[in-house]
Order: sequence, then structure tokens, then C-alpha cells
Amino acid sequence: MRVLGLYVERDTPVHKLAPFTKLMYAVTSTVVTFLFPSITVGILFLVLSVFLNTIARVLKHLIALLMVVSVLSISIFLIQGMFYVGNYTPLFSLLRLTFYKEGLLRAVVLVLRLFNMISAFGILMLTTRPSDLIDDLVRRGLSPNVGYVIASVLQIVPQMLSTATRIIDAQRSRGLEMNGSFHKRFKAFLALIGPLVLGSLLEARERALALEIRWFEARTKRTFLKDFSESKR
Amino acid sequence: MGSTEKIKIESLTYAYPFSDKNALENISFSIMPGECVGIIGRNGAGKSTLCLALTGLVPKFFKGRYSGKVLLDGEDVRQISYEKLVTKIGLVLQNPFSQITGARITVYEEVAFGLENLGIPRDEIKQRVEAVLKALDLWEKRDENPFELSGGQLQKLAIASVLVLQPEVLVLDEPTSQLDSGGTKEVFEIISQMKSQGITIVLVEHKYEMLVEYVDKIIFLQEGKMIAFDEAEKIFSLPEIDEYMVGEPIYTKLCKKLNLKNSRGYYPVKFSEAVGILREARCGSDR
Amino acid sequence: MDLIVKVENLWFSYKSGKFVLKNINVSFDGVSTAIVGQNGAAKTTFVKILKGLLKPTMGDVWINGVNTKETTVAQLAKVVGLVFQDPSEQIFKSKVIDEVMFGPLNIFRDKQYSYQMAIEALKLVGLDGKVNEHPYDLTLSERKLLCIASVLAMDPKVVIFDEPTIAQDRYHIKKIGELVLELEKNGKTVIAITHDMDFVFDYFKRTLVLHRGNLLVDGKTDEILQREDVLKAAGLDTPYIFKISSSVGTVISKLFPI
Repeated sequence: MRVLGLYVERDTPVHKLAPFTKLMYAVTSTVVTFLFPSITVGILFLVLSVFLNTIARVLKHLIALLMVVSVLSISIFLIQGMFYVGNYTPLFSLLRLTFYKEGLLRAVVLVLRLFNMISAFGILMLTTRPSDLIDDLVRRGLSPNVGYVIASVLQIVPQMLSTATRIIDAQRSRGLEMNGSFHKRFKAFLALIGPLVLGSLLEARERALALEIRWFEARTKRTFLKDFSESKR
Repeated sequence: MGSTEKIKIESLTYAYPFSDKNALENISFSIMPGECVGIIGRNGAGKSTLCLALTGLVPKFFKGRYSGKVLLDGEDVRQISYEKLVTKIGLVLQNPFSQITGARITVYEEVAFGLENLGIPRDEIKQRVEAVLKALDLWEKRDENPFELSGGQLQKLAIASVLVLQPEVLVLDEPTSQLDSGGTKEVFEIISQMKSQGITIVLVEHKYEMLVEYVDKIIFLQEGKMIAFDEAEKIFSLPEIDEYMVGEPIYTKLCKKLNLKNSRGYYPVKFSEAVGILREARCGSDR
Repeated sequence: MDLIVKVENLWFSYKSGKFVLKNINVSFDGVSTAIVGQNGAAKTTFVKILKGLLKPTMGDVWINGVNTKETTVAQLAKVVGLVFQDPSEQIFKSKVIDEVMFGPLNIFRDKQYSYQMAIEALKLVGLDGKVNEHPYDLTLSERKLLCIASVLAMDPKVVIFDEPTIAQDRYHIKKIGELVLELEKNGKTVIAITHDMDFVFDYFKRTLVLHRGNLLVDGKTDEILQREDVLKAAGLDTPYIFKISSSVGTVISKLFPI
């Protein structure tokens, strides 16, 4: 079953940690590296996060995430190295562009911060089902209404993705080429997005009926079954 | 004047917004408490619209031109507060998937959702949800994600979410049309269970062989008009029924071709009756 | 007639690695064939492979002499048409005629010819009176017919239906069934996956029973649908007509020639 997000199913101690604990770790390590912009602190937390990701056996997935942001990192090195306001000590020259020590050090801190944030939140995202996180948050006092909205989006978007796959199959079956010139691809995009939007609208109407039938607009005071998942166990 | 009808419709005419064609035209009938009534007709005949009108969603949710009255226990559905209405009459739709609100993560919570909205005390919610899930054989699935259920189970979940509100009337709009034979049987088992509990049932269904085993009467719609409202065997024995091309139970068709009628002078619609009559005919022809 | 679809030693698995289709050997010619089986029997996977949307993990599928591994879905569209279950997952044009012309335009690239093909296909399904209507102004059943027309307009030799009777009323089930007979008469190879056993009995000469990825039996419909052991093993219903036969205690065709 598809669940929206990056969750990787594994049986490890990190997976079994309470979602809220992992969220707290991610927030803490991000905040600390912001408050103490030193390279040592950055490396310390990065090593810790990578270690946790390794225990959780999701290191491969984390590296994939870090690859995505490394493009951003390169531009940080270029921009900070050349144009940082505190630049004073020229370090080297490349293709007649001068890089400064201050800017490069600054870039190292920034990139560490970024990698650190990705790794720390990576533990959370890669080892926690989104629904479990919401469940845990609602139990700890997040407004159930906000919880509903997030949960329903998380529930319905994966369904839309599988609908999209079926639509692509249906249109390819009618001879639609998905590759080729921009014009061709734009045509293919229309053939996908049309049924997806129309279908979603129709479905949204029925889902609205379903909410109506169960009196979602109630003006009465709602009951929240907030702690039932604890008592059930 | 009997005023004990559960549902009474008086010359209801309705057209959807921006449509000049009447979706329902001059419909009148009444249903007694505990009765199980089928609705048949071709796609586009107005069956779904009639379901929406019975539950008050036409004209509350779907505006448009509306005249006539739909009375529930003698009260106009437009006058009943919607909060009270949802506990009096429940609606199950065709597509099991889009009936799941998606607001909740587990089967259990999905069923509890309506009760939470109505502000029912927590202990009572737990009790009612448990009872419904057990009755519908979904208790084992209570912690699962609704979207991971099979079509049949999903439809049962939709029925459970409505039944937990303890409605006196249950309206089902083609509840089995997306299901395979296993899922269809499960849904019909629930319907027969509800019937024996005295719930008034209105059921739109194309699977006539199943339908006729449960219903007391059938409403036959064609292009928004009510052609007939009668017992199943009378409906399927109407001389003009073939012209409407709605079909009939397979064994009724067989008996029609062989011109075999029951003692009341109608073509048999139920399996056991048809078998009996065919057996007799066979003995006759063997001699 | 030569074998237009030939499946040899087909094994298939999704990424997870477990085989959902196991050593299937079968071929199709001009005889209309129903593929029946419970949910989870891998019926849909099988037709997706026939259509080239999925490629065999092992073994080969030959369509009109071409191996599906060596061609594209768009190329195959000229030979194999697949009518999907849910019309709302393909309709995107604002006119019936444009929707039906979409496929032909993709493969023939000739507007005049595509228009002709579209009109003929609409005639065949009985929607030629609604050429300029908006697809969403049609009833659900008419939309299904529209999708069928949009596939037939490409003039494929093989027409595959995925659960054609689902959500249809009796009138339209009959109509789709008669269309199957008509297509067969016109020399098309019709294949349908369905769980509607009465529909199979009425309109298909040949039946394949799939169960958990295995091809259980392959043969004449009226023989297979009477084999209660096979149907029971595959979790399928006996068609009503045979239920009556066995209850009445006579072969129904003797009592009543169909």
C-alpha cells in the first residue's frame, strides 16, 4: 500500500521510537546548529544523525536525499566563496574568479547546517509513517481538526497518484506518446491532467456528500476520541 | 387517513440546476415502517436522484427546481433539522471508495467520525462502534487503514459508518454495483440483517436475482417518471415491461419464454418458486 | 485463422519478486474469450501484459508476430485495444467526437480518416446521435460505450475489455454483450476479464479460469461453467442458468433451447 512520504518499512529500534521523540530530535539538532554556527557542533550532530540513519538501515535513502541538496550546496560554496560580505583573505583563484577564506568557511557552516537538517529530519521521515506522526501529535494536543486536514490529504494524495498511473495507461493504450518534443509532452500532460482533475472533482463531490451524511457541519459540540488509541491497547 | 407511513412522497418534481429536464416528475408513493422497497430502472432513470430526495440532500445539497413534498414520519424533510435527519435516515452510495471521508486513519475512527460530529459521549461512541463493527464482521479490521480494504469490505465500512448513527431508514444506492460476487453476498447479508431488525430499507439494485429475494415491493422508474410501484412478480409480469428494456431475473425470463405462471397468475421471480414451476412443467412434458 | 496473440511460458512478477503469473501458455484467435477468476487472480496484470503496458519477467508475448518486448505501447495500439474499467479515467475532451478521435489521430495522423473511423465506431455502439454532446452530459452507461468507441475507432484486431459489466444496468450489459458478438462476427479477437458468470455464459464461446496466477482450465464456456469443482476451486459462482438446470434436474437446453 502506498503511503505518501518517504517512509521505508524496516524493523529496527529507530523505527520503534515514538514519532514525537524523533520529531523532537530533528527540531533540536536543527535549532542547536543554528544557535551555535560552529563547524565542530555541525559535524558532531551530522555524525550522530548519520549514525542513527545507519542503525535504521535507511542510509542509502538518506544519501539519495543528500544528493538532491548537494546541487544547492555547490551554489552555496560558489556564492559565499566569492561574494560573502566578510570576505577578506583570498585563498585561491579559479578561472580568474577569486575565492576567499571567510566565505568558504561560512559556506561550510551553511552546508553542514543543511545536511544536518536533512539527516535529522530524514530519520523522522524515513522511519515514521506520516499517519503515526499525526496520531502521536493529536494525542499530545494538536487540534484534531488540523490533524484531519493533514491526514485526509496524506490519505487521498497517494490514491490520486495511483489514479494518475491508470490514466497514463489508458491514454498510452490509445496511442499517446509520452516522450518526444515539448509539444508532444504538453499534449500528453493535458490528456493526463484532464481526467485527473475532472475525476477528482466528481469524487470530491461524493466525498462532500459522505461528510454531509455524517453531519460534518454540526453546530453541536464535537466529541474527540483523542485518547482512545491508548485505551484500546 | 392513515398517518403511520414511514416515508410519504407527494407529487415530487425536481430538476437539477441548469437543467430544463425534470430528473423526477410527479412522483408519489408511500412506504410503511419496516418495509423493504427496491428501486429499478435504467441508468439515468432518476433512481439516484430519488435517493438524494429521500435523504433531503435534494434540495439541501443540490439546489434546483423542487416542488411537491417528501415526508418522513409526517414531517417535511426540508423542515427537519439536518442533525436530526442524519439519525433518522442514512444513505449508502455506489462507489465505496469516495464514501470514505479520508479524515481518519483507521476503520474504527472512520466509523466513529459521524458520532463525534454529533457530540455523542465518548463511552457511548465506543460501545456503538464496537457493536456495529462486530455485527458487520469488521472488528478484526478495526486498526487497518480504510484504503487498504477490498471493495466489499470498503462498502461494508461505508454501511457501518451510516448504521452507527442508528437510522430508522436506510437508503442504499446500487451498493453492490462495483463489487464482485463475494462482496455482493456480504452486502445482501447485512441488508437482510437490517430488515429483520425492523429498519425500513430502500434499495436501488440491478442484480434482480438477489433483489427480489429481499424486497416487499419495487418502484420502477423510467426517465424520471414512476411507471409502477408494486410487488416484484407483478412488476416483472407487466405486459409492457419488455418495451422499457430493464430486463428481468434470469429464471423469470425463462418462465416467460415457456409461458409458465404461478398460482396467482404471475411469472415467478424467486429462484425456489421458479425451480418448482419448471420441475412441474418438466414432469408434464415427460409424460 | 492465424494466432494473433500468443503467450509462451509467461512468468510475471512486480518489483517485490513474488510471481503473480506462473508459466502461462495460451493463444487467442478469432474466438471471443472470457478470462474469469476471483479478485487477486492477476487478471488485470495479464491483460496489461497482452497490451504491452507490462513486459513479461520471463517468457514471451507475441502480438501479430511481433514480440511485445521489442515494440512500444503506442505501436501496439494499432493492433490491441484495451477498454479500461472506469470511463472517468480517460475522458478529457469536451465533445464526444473529439474524445473518440483522440486515439485514431494518435496512430493514423490523418484528420479526415480519423473522423470517419470515429463516426463508424460511434455508430457501432449506438452513440452516433450524440456526436457533439459533452461526454459528462451522457449517462454513466453511455460514457462506457463512448470509451468502447474510442478504442474501436483505432480499428484494433484484438479488443480487450476490463470488467465491462461493472456499474452497468441490464440493458447496457445486454448491449455490450451484443457488441461482443458483433465484433467477433467482424473478425475481431475479443477478450474480456469479468466476474459476471451469466455474462460469460451468454456471450463468450471460450473461457479461461485464472486462479492465483495459474491458468486452471481453458476450454468451451458451456463445458467449463458446468464444472462445479473448477468454479469452486477458483472461488467463482455457477451461472444462474446452470443453478436452475441442476435444481430442476434437467439440462436446461433440453427444456428450453437457448
